[in-house]
Amino acid sequence: MDFVPVLAETATALPTEEVFLVTDGLLTEEQVADSLGEDWAFVYRNRWYLLGGTVITIALTITSLLLGFLAGFPAGVIEAYGGGYSRAFVRKSGVLLRGTPILVIMIFTFFVLPIGYVLGPVQALLDGIDYLLGPTPFTVPDVGEAFVAATLALGLRSAAYQSQIFRGALGSVDEGQMEAARSIGMSRLEAIRHVIVPQALRRSVPGFQNEFTIVLKDTSIAFAIGLGELLKRSNDLFTQQTTAILEVILFASLLYFVLTFSTNRTLDYVSNYYAVPGESS
Amino acid sequence: MSERNPADDTATGGRIERERTTGDAVGTTDAETPLLRVEDLWKSYGDEEVLRGVSLEVDRGDVEVLVGPSGSGKSTLLRCLNRLTEVDSGHIYLGETEVTGPDTDPNAVRQQIGMVFQDINLFAHLTARQNITLGLRKVRGQSKTEARRRADSELDRVGLLEQADSYPAQLSGGQKQRVGIARALAMDPEVMLFDEPTSALDPELSNEVLEVMGQLVAEGMTMVVVTHEMRFARGGATGITFLDEGKVIERGPPDRIFDDPERERTARFFQSIRHE
Repeated sequence: MDFVPVLAETATALPTEEVFLVTDGLLTEEQVADSLGEDWAFVYRNRWYLLGGTVITIALTITSLLLGFLAGFPAGVIEAYGGGYSRAFVRKSGVLLRGTPILVIMIFTFFVLPIGYVLGPVQALLDGIDYLLGPTPFTVPDVGEAFVAATLALGLRSAAYQSQIFRGALGSVDEGQMEAARSIGMSRLEAIRHVIVPQALRRSVPGFQNEFTIVLKDTSIAFAIGLGELLKRSNDLFTQQTTAILEVILFASLLYFVLTFSTNRTLDYVSNYYAVPGESS
Repeated sequence: MSERNPADDTATGGRIERERTTGDAVGTTDAETPLLRVEDLWKSYGDEEVLRGVSLEVDRGDVEVLVGPSGSGKSTLLRCLNRLTEVDSGHIYLGETEVTGPDTDPNAVRQQIGMVFQDINLFAHLTARQNITLGLRKVRGQSKTEARRRADSELDRVGLLEQADSYPAQLSGGQKQRVGIARALAMDPEVMLFDEPTSALDPELSNEVLEVMGQLVAEGMTMVVVTHEMRFARGGATGITFLDEGKVIERGPPDRIFDDPERERTARFFQSIRHE
């Protein structure tokens, strides 16, 4: 019990500056300006604006990947096992989406598609979530049509790539697995569901990891349609104070890096966690 | 490996003692009708005719070994028996059921016909036990505990109860194949098909699989076996069918086919494998 007063002593003895560093709002702009210069102080002053943009970047990544998975996984299954028109349709839409620049797709979904019709139900859904969870970043005024259009563009493009990840993974499962499943009386669908898909999903993690990073970084394309994500908000700032471009962009880059690095590490962990014992993952 | 002297029966471990089941076993209606009947099977891949009018009868409790050079159609014949490969023409009957019938549900009929593969094909993402329970749960609709109990008794039967929680990648080839056999047995098949079950294994691992197969022979299981293991063919088979170029060349009890074949082609085949 001797150490308790010692701890209390060191806490009170801490230099005040260090306490300010870890306690938000107590580090003043003047202090930043004194040690790092006026432009970093500008970044510091607008940190919540940039972090708000980061939240939108994260939200857009999640909605796009979700749409990409919901459309891309069935598309991959159809490409691997389907036949006739469904397969031809999926293939051709995939070729079209993969063959079009993401910026072009996004401008299309924002300016050409009647996004208002999509927005109604989406807004109703978000209002429902809002009602349940309280305020969310989705209700920020500059999120709306642009957010939905960006989700559609990034999500559909991601679906086109994710379908290829899943098609490849499904195709990589040995044919003998299907035969063994059929030989004990499983239907084709049961075999796909209980034998092929669980193995294919494990194999698609590295590809999905790659796709995750790509989508996260490509959310910055939404800058072009004025969605207030991280890059757009960075732009807002450095057009205000043009001397701070380096500082603002460095800070934004750091945020992007932290996001990609941490999600990759998380997915590495997921991949190892679900790896089949004895098999190299 | 292969037999050197056809007269030397004892060198092969002798015949496997078997209790022959009679016609009153489950599922049969008539002791006289063969359990498995194949009539005039034809199958071609493109221009290549793989099966050219194959007929075969296997009685309950019989162990029919299919031999022949590669490309003779023996594996294709086996795969046709549970419709993993669809035939072009001909009929296959299992008891009263026509396997090849247009209204026959292949999934139902496959539960009656167990299959063991050359490349084993254990479900790679499941443990040994789960490999067996999957079919029991999803196809048979058994409860978790029921399926687990059955799986453990089948694993015990092939001597692998201790490996129940191991994944395929953690098992040896011989162990994997024994799990493969247990997986097929758990569905209570009327007949077991073996498609070169030891071809992917080294001689030492082959033996543990052949032992399990010998045990099934002793229990009176009806089996159709494609194999190059002439020791098994001689010791365990009730009949040998020799195929070449998609046709049954000759069929008979092992002793006669091995030692005194009627057809010149059969003699030549056994001559050649003896001098391997």
